[in-house]
Order: sequence, then structure tokens, then C-alpha cells
Amino acid sequence: MIKFIEKIEGEAKLNFSFDEHKKIDFVDIEFFSTRNIEKILENKPALDALVINPRVCGICGHAHLIATTKALEDCYKNIEVPNNAKILRELTLNFEIMQNHFKWFYLSILPLLGERQHLLKATFPSQILAKAIAVVGGQYPHTSYSLVGGVVCDITVMDILKITHLIDEVMKYFEKNLLVDESEEFLNYKNIENILNKDGDLIKTLLKFKQNSWQHLGRSYGRFVVFGQNSYFNSGKSIKTTVSKNLNFANIKEQTNQNSYAKNVTYKNKYYEVGPLSRAMLNKIPLIKDSHRKYGDSIFSRILARMYEIPQLLNHSKKLLDELDLDKPFYIEPKIDISKISGSGYGCVEAARGTLLHKVKLHNGIIEKYDIITPTQWNLSNGTKEKLGVSQKAMIGLSDINLAEIVFKSFDVCSVCTTH
Amino acid sequence: MYDKKLKIIWLTAISCNGNSHSFLNYPHLEQFIDDFEFIYHPLIYSKYSLQDLINKDIECDILLLEGAISPEFKKMDEPIINLVDKYAHKAKKIITVGTCATFGGIFSQSDYAYTTGLHFDKENPTFLFKSLKHKTISISGCPIQPEVLANTIYAIQKNMDLKLDNYLRPKEFFAYTIHNGCTRNEYFEYKVDNHTFGKKEGCMFYEHGCQAPYTNGSCNKILWNGVNSKTRAGLPCMGCTSPDFPKQNLFKTKKNMGIPQNLPLGVGKRTYLTLAGITKAFSIKRLEEDLF
Repeated sequence: MIKFIEKIEGEAKLNFSFDEHKKIDFVDIEFFSTRNIEKILENKPALDALVINPRVCGICGHAHLIATTKALEDCYKNIEVPNNAKILRELTLNFEIMQNHFKWFYLSILPLLGERQHLLKATFPSQILAKAIAVVGGQYPHTSYSLVGGVVCDITVMDILKITHLIDEVMKYFEKNLLVDESEEFLNYKNIENILNKDGDLIKTLLKFKQNSWQHLGRSYGRFVVFGQNSYFNSGKSIKTTVSKNLNFANIKEQTNQNSYAKNVTYKNKYYEVGPLSRAMLNKIPLIKDSHRKYGDSIFSRILARMYEIPQLLNHSKKLLDELDLDKPFYIEPKIDISKISGSGYGCVEAARGTLLHKVKLHNGIIEKYDIITPTQWNLSNGTKEKLGVSQKAMIGLSDINLAEIVFKSFDVCSVCTTH
Repeated sequence: MYDKKLKIIWLTAISCNGNSHSFLNYPHLEQFIDDFEFIYHPLIYSKYSLQDLINKDIECDILLLEGAISPEFKKMDEPIINLVDKYAHKAKKIITVGTCATFGGIFSQSDYAYTTGLHFDKENPTFLFKSLKHKTISISGCPIQPEVLANTIYAIQKNMDLKLDNYLRPKEFFAYTIHNGCTRNEYFEYKVDNHTFGKKEGCMFYEHGCQAPYTNGSCNKILWNGVNSKTRAGLPCMGCTSPDFPKQNLFKTKKNMGIPQNLPLGVGKRTYLTLAGITKAFSIKRLEEDLF
């Protein structure tokens, strides 16, 4: 049985097969087209990638910009990047992650649960967060303000004030609409029961899952990985609750897919889940760990982890702002011009949907090869019956394909990224 | 006054969805969705699905096309050309949304054969949809500015007579250059050419590839996200509204014998050299120092 999935930054085709009990026993995931960004980059001057790569994706292009910057800087054996630039890159990427989460929740998830789509509830906070990126980077989407050696801007105390107000406004919005809670405590909850007696769109959604006994729905392997270490996210992999910190990019393998334009991605030949739930597991966020303990890597845990990431990131973003030192530089011109650089580099960040990896090979500052592995490739790898991808495994055993669609979308699918 | 909302189809071809997301930043979206109905949209809830668009025959007033087109590119196994053809003929007006839909943009370099905009392959006219040219308005930009798209749609609703340039872009927005309104203008005027990144001072035209003086658009007139622009922030204009976007070596100014290869719109080499000679004679201390 074929189901087309729409409004996922593009489209996908799910082809379900059922066992004798009318339960899904396999799902073939197909993405339709590719734009060959990696090929477009070949033979171009290295810095042009900073302009081209945000155009991989309209909703997470900023993650592609920061990953590009890091990959190019990694081609230098030695490059000084000012701390202010590192802080701003993290900050603007946080803002992008959060605007995505609001859009996902109100535009993609709620309509699947029988609610009408609350467009303005998504755009009100996402516009504020886009504005906060623009204060630093000039515009959103599609700025290229981060470049090899730092960032182009030179922000002032007034800019910091503006951003602070925007962060506060989003926090207020979250507390009013998603999780109504007067106390300062809600960032430190340890127990699911602490929040289920509250009000707000997030809570109502979680309760809907409980009422329908769906809280265990959509479980996969319980294998999580995070590569994009920064001042907030911890990298590592976690299998059930065993955490290991040793990761090696060389163990990531990308394989072409016979019947889809998306390539499959494994770590040490195993499929892993990436994204907010993985990040919360590696960061040991008590509330999410409690949800995982009770309901596993279910849609319930995924929704909670993604939306609970917002206040955590808002909080951390304010700390980052405090760490800026306006007397110090935002950019240090690299000692060697990039036109003289030959070598290869990795750039890895946590994007809204999870780990995003860029690999580049330069010869005299010209791009020889470019490779992008996006989060959706991890989560939506199209495996075989013997070795299912993460989202495939999560859909097995369901009998209702509408529920399967909710499970599928709980990974926050990005079609354009996947088929870059 | 408008008892019937105009029906809009937002069709995406070879794109990144950047224009769809940029449009979600339109500050008066609430009013907009009161005034118009997206009967199909790639993100926003709509009465019809893409499958409906392919399988049914749906009436629409305005067709918005995002992304480049190619005879090889398909949406859910349906050639995009067929979809464009079907709905462009029904629509009273067509808007090409963004540089890809207008000129081909970045994705004209993808592997699909003959990837172009609806009416232009870079600056050259194409012929496949020539008969639709009279009802098309182009809005270039990678991405578009939300207000530019929204108010062009309102202009259609109110039957305003929009003056268009040679690429069918509303002059209201595209008669300006990106340079108009840049906070770094003085550094340009007095040819203070020692710009480094990470500074609020200096002009990126002389060394760092800024295309603002010869690129049409309203980025410094209608500020991005209501607050800023790339050039104000310190990022060179990449010429994203231009037919040949993206050019190469975007962070470097191409020069011939010390003179920028691309001069401000309408400025001849001789005029430029004369002006440069005069401004070189001055040294303006205020512009050589940090602002504060």
C-alpha cells in the first residue's frame, strides 16, 4: 500500500507491506529527486561554498553555513578563530534550531492529531528567532555571515540588548503557549508527572498520546548518536542508557540506495537515531531520561525532547550572550589565504534535526570534492527487512498507516536536505 | 469589497524551499491569510494536496512558482512542466518567486537538462512558456523578501498597474540598487577601501566582492526581518537577485588594472576614474577611524 507524504520540505513515498495479521512488516521509503549540490560545488573557489550551501535547505540552511565554515577551517592545519565568532555561530544556530521546532510542532505534528493547523502560532515565535539571527547575520534565511576566520559582523551592546529582548519574548511565548508554568522550575523537572498536570499545547498533545495509549508508539532501536559537540550539546553515542564518548568520523558510512535518491547512513554498520531525543539522552536531561525510561524512544519522547529543547536552548543562549567580549575581535584574517590551501576537512554541527556533517577536499583553494550527510539521512535510511532503518523499525507492527505517518513525521523529516 | 478571496497555488519546482520559509516571516501574515487563500502550499495547510493538483483540475487565480524548471524534473512522478503548463494557463497572473524560478539560479547548475527560470535562462529569454509572459511578474532574490511578494500579490488583487523592468520585475522594488540605504555608504562615496571583516566600518565593494552598487533590489530599503541587511551586517551583497547569480569567487572584487570589473549601475569607467582620482585626494579622518 502506497502513501504519499507531503509538506515535509518536499515529498516522500512510503510503500507499506503487511503481514498476515495486517500489521506493517516493512516500509520502503522513497525520496523523489536530487539537486546535486555536492556536484555544483566541485571546481568552485572554497569560499563560494559559504553562499551556495545555505541554499541546500530553506529551514536549516544556517546549519549548513556553520558546517561549511567549520569544514573549510578544518582544512587549515592551524587557524585562529576568535571566541566571539564561535559564540555567535552557536547562538544563531540555536535560533535556527528553535524556529524549526516551533514550525514542526504547529505545522506538522498538531494537524496529524486532528487539530487545525495553527499557522500563526508557528510563525509568531519563528519570526522573532529569525529576527534575532538577522540582528547578527543581516538576514534570515540564507545569510553567509560566518566565514573562514570568524564572522563578518561587529555587534554592539545595543545589538546584545535587542537579542536579549527577543530571547525573553520567545521564552515568554513558550511559557504561555507550550507549557504553562509560572515557576522557574520547569527547566529542571525530573519526572513526566511533574508536567502532565500543567496546561499548554505541548502538554495537551502529550496527554492526547496518553489517552490513546500511544505513549509507547514509534519505538526503534534506542540507539542514539550526537556528533556536533559544542558548548551545550555533548557528543557521544548512547545505546539504551550506556553512553560512550569515543566517536570517529571514519566509522560513518554512506551507501547509495537502489530505489531512492536519499543515501543511507550508518555508524559502525548500525543505524542510529539523531536529533533532539539523542541530544537530550547524551546531555542527560532528567525529564527526557524519565520519559525514555517509561516510554522508550517513542513519538511521545521525541515530541517532548524536541519541544523541551527550546527553553534549554533559550537559557543557554543567554549565557552565550554574556560570554561575548566586545573588546575582542569577531574576525581574524587567516595567515594563509585560502587560495593556497590544499587538504581536507570535516565540519560537524547539530542542526535542528540532528547531526549534520560536511566533508570537503580542497586543492589550492578550489573544491575538489564535497560531501554532505544530513540528519534525515540517518533517521530515514531505507534499510532492508533484515536490517531496518531507524524510522522503518519505528513503524513496524502498526496496523494503521495514519499512525505510521505520525511516527514518520516524529523524526521531523526534511526532504530537500535529504535529497541535496 | 473582495467577497471572494483570490485563490493561490504555490508550486515548488527545483528549489530549497527558502522562499516559502522567507515568506513565513511576513509580519502581517495574519491579515494576508484573511485576504487570500492558499489552495495549495508546500508548508501551510491547504484545501488541496499535491496529489490533487496532479490528478484533478483545480481553478486558481494566481500561480506562484518557486524553483527552477527542467523537462527532466518531476513532482511525485509528474513532470513539473506539465503542472506549470496546466495551472499557468488557468491562472490570471503568475509570479515567479525567487531567483531560481525567475532565472534558473543555483539549481540551473544541477544535473537536470535545460534547467532555467520560467521565462529566462540567466539573462536570456526562453521560449517554452513565451505565451504566458504577458501575465507573469518576476520577483527575484535568493530568497525573496516577504514584503515584496506580499505586496505584489496585493497589487494584483487591487488591479494596480505595476511598472515592470526588462525581467518583468516590479520597478517599485527593483528600480533601486542594494546599495541604496546601506549604512556603509560613506565609505563607498569617499572610496575608503581598507575594509576588513568583523568591523562595522568600511565598504566591501573595493576588495570583498560586494555587488550592491550594481544589483537591483530593496534589501537596504525594506530591511530583512525588519532589522538589518547583509551589507549593514558586514557581508558583501552576493547579487542574489541577478540573472547570473551565483557568480564565482564571491568574496573577492574582480579588478582589471586596479579598477573593479563591475562598476556601479550606469557609471562609466571614465567617470569612475575621475571620481576615484578626486576622492583619493582627500583623507577623511572620521572615516579612517573606528566609529566608536
